[in-house]
Amino acid sequence: MTATATVPTSTLTTTPARRRIWSYWRFYLALSPFYVLFAVFGLYPMLSTIVLAFQRWDGLSARKFTGLDNFAFLVKDPTFWTALENTVVLFLMSTVPTLVLALLLAVMLQSAVRFTNVYRIAYFIPNVTSLVAMAIFFSSIFSTNFGLVNAALRSLGIPQQDWLGQPWGIKIAISTMIVWQWVGYNTLIYLAGLQAIPKDQYEAAKVDGAGAVRTFFSITLPQLRPVVLFTVIMSTIGGLQTFTEPQVMVGNSGGTGQSGMTVVLFFYRSAFLDNDYGYAAAIALSIFALVLLFTAINWRIFRGRSEDR
Amino acid sequence: MELSRRTLLGGFAAVAGGSLVGCSSGMNSTGTPAKKNAATELTMWCWPGGLGKSVLDDTITHFPDPKIKYSEIGGDFKQKLITTFNGGTSIPDITGLKGEDIASLLPQAERFVDLKTVGADSILGDYLEWKVKQATTLDGKVIGLPIDVGPTALYYREDVFAAAGLPSDPAKVGEQLKTWDDFFAAGVQLKAKNPKALLVWDATDLYDMVIGQGTERYISKDNKFIGDQDHIRKAWDTSVKAMTMKIDGKTPSGSPDWNAGLDQGTVPAHIGAAWVALDIKSAVKKTAGKWRLAPTPGGAANFGGSFLAITKNAADPQKAFDVIKYMLSADNEAKAFADAQIFPSTPAAYDKPQLKAADTFFGGQVPIDVFGPAAKEIPVAYQSPFDDSVAAPFHDELKTVQTGAKTSDAAWSAAVSKAKAIAKRQGVQ
Repeated sequence: MTATATVPTSTLTTTPARRRIWSYWRFYLALSPFYVLFAVFGLYPMLSTIVLAFQRWDGLSARKFTGLDNFAFLVKDPTFWTALENTVVLFLMSTVPTLVLALLLAVMLQSAVRFTNVYRIAYFIPNVTSLVAMAIFFSSIFSTNFGLVNAALRSLGIPQQDWLGQPWGIKIAISTMIVWQWVGYNTLIYLAGLQAIPKDQYEAAKVDGAGAVRTFFSITLPQLRPVVLFTVIMSTIGGLQTFTEPQVMVGNSGGTGQSGMTVVLFFYRSAFLDNDYGYAAAIALSIFALVLLFTAINWRIFRGRSEDR
Repeated sequence: MELSRRTLLGGFAAVAGGSLVGCSSGMNSTGTPAKKNAATELTMWCWPGGLGKSVLDDTITHFPDPKIKYSEIGGDFKQKLITTFNGGTSIPDITGLKGEDIASLLPQAERFVDLKTVGADSILGDYLEWKVKQATTLDGKVIGLPIDVGPTALYYREDVFAAAGLPSDPAKVGEQLKTWDDFFAAGVQLKAKNPKALLVWDATDLYDMVIGQGTERYISKDNKFIGDQDHIRKAWDTSVKAMTMKIDGKTPSGSPDWNAGLDQGTVPAHIGAAWVALDIKSAVKKTAGKWRLAPTPGGAANFGGSFLAITKNAADPQKAFDVIKYMLSADNEAKAFADAQIFPSTPAAYDKPQLKAADTFFGGQVPIDVFGPAAKEIPVAYQSPFDDSVAAPFHDELKTVQTGAKTSDAAWSAAVSKAKAIAKRQGVQ
């Protein structure tokens, strides 16, 4: 870099294109804070993660280059496949209900006349509460003998369940919590999308004699498509990185039969409990690949047809 | 100076160059001699509640030169210490090391001062031998002085025991519940009289108790995997026995059900370290005074207990050692117990008045009468740096037996094969 300073400026100004770029240096300077911060706190950690994935490191001693060893162990590691399966199942169990509920609430909220702001604030509150505190709260709700859910079941005459001790119970508890947290957030995004749909389309539908259901499926849903794509991608990125809920509810082992062991929890355990940082970096790259894959799938599903137009 | 492109580029180059150097010093994390801290102050790190407050304040006034600068580090302590080691700056002179982390830090002994080189030999005998062993490397370096220990005892509700026709007096309970089989038999008797009261709070927790009573763990001293051998299988079978006898409450300690069950009588007993007393005391409202202590069936185990270590970066290791020696003297450990129930690692402290006090919560029983002998008889077991990683599959698979998803044998073989794979990855034979 210092070399550039000793180069005579004439070489820099030989081509007109070069000159044009350099004449804007003040603008680049104004933009630079973000890029400098990103390079230090974003790019550098990412690159070092990629390098680390090919090494053995216990956090303190010298790093050893081991080539593809970490990945070879990863594809043979039963815990990794369990974690992958859990993550996808949890993602589906939480994202689908979240988005469906959010859409319903948004449509209902749009037709609300009074107290709209009160509703909006109320829906958004779960999203800003402390995740750890809520996870503790939810594990109390789902606890076996003195939990709220089992108390309700008992009063209905249904036998109580060991929610946080059974594989499916753990998944239900975790996805319930994710749904509870994200419904409000997505509702508000859908609501903003609904506001942007031109009113005259609805009036035209009314004139044509379309009912509420027909209007929803023929006008509201197609018009909301880009917003739905946005929420699906955001939920994908968030959902595939589920960590806090299982960690607080069932601990670092992922609970019974490792049913709550998500990929990020597995990553955390490898790095900070097993001190196997190289392996953890390999897991992190696999999470990255997973999110990329899911995002691509979503993109095709929700954008594929609208791009043809 | 006029701001020109060239000076700017030069400035950026300097910054970028500097940051690269900064990053690379974190990279070569070995082989570099440790930078000595400045001798103007003595920095000390510990976690919240790790040291008694009055002892800490007294130590700071006792050593005015250099001034002790104490920092309380919250969150994941070990992680922050490792990060600081890698960063290479602001490394504390003295640091706490948690009991659960000590085994994995022993391979990093070169980052700490071997306390034998600064005169620890004369005082090591004052501490519990098995506890000092935990901080001793295979080639004999001692990297930490024990702050505290966590000997176990049986906590039980005397009223529930009496109502079921079991002995309720601590001495008689200790006599009758000598082995796990005695304990389980009592559990069956209790359940027959009182179907809601299950003597074993959680069979998977109990598994760790049995492991802790032995002299071997998952990996041997010569780095061989021994997790598939009889001593582990025995602990496994003991835990499974509690499940098959249907006296397993499946309420892990600290869970909401456990907290509620202590008062309700559904968790009439718990086996845990000395510090569990605080958890039980804070969880119960109605049953204070009804709890008693008896020796652990099958012998004492230890859970927890930390160390103070001196890093290689300390400006004056000798001075730092004088500080921790003073701080962890028998008198001060007794004070720390009075401060915050930090259970002493020096047997001499067990005779001090602070520990001899009777506890109304335990109906006037003197807890040290149970914990003192327990602390002295804890077996020494070698703990490999990879012990926790290898133990994880055993815990996971035992839970599947507990919920009835797998048979004991199927779960056992799954646990062994998973543990072997992890051990192999960590270079264990």
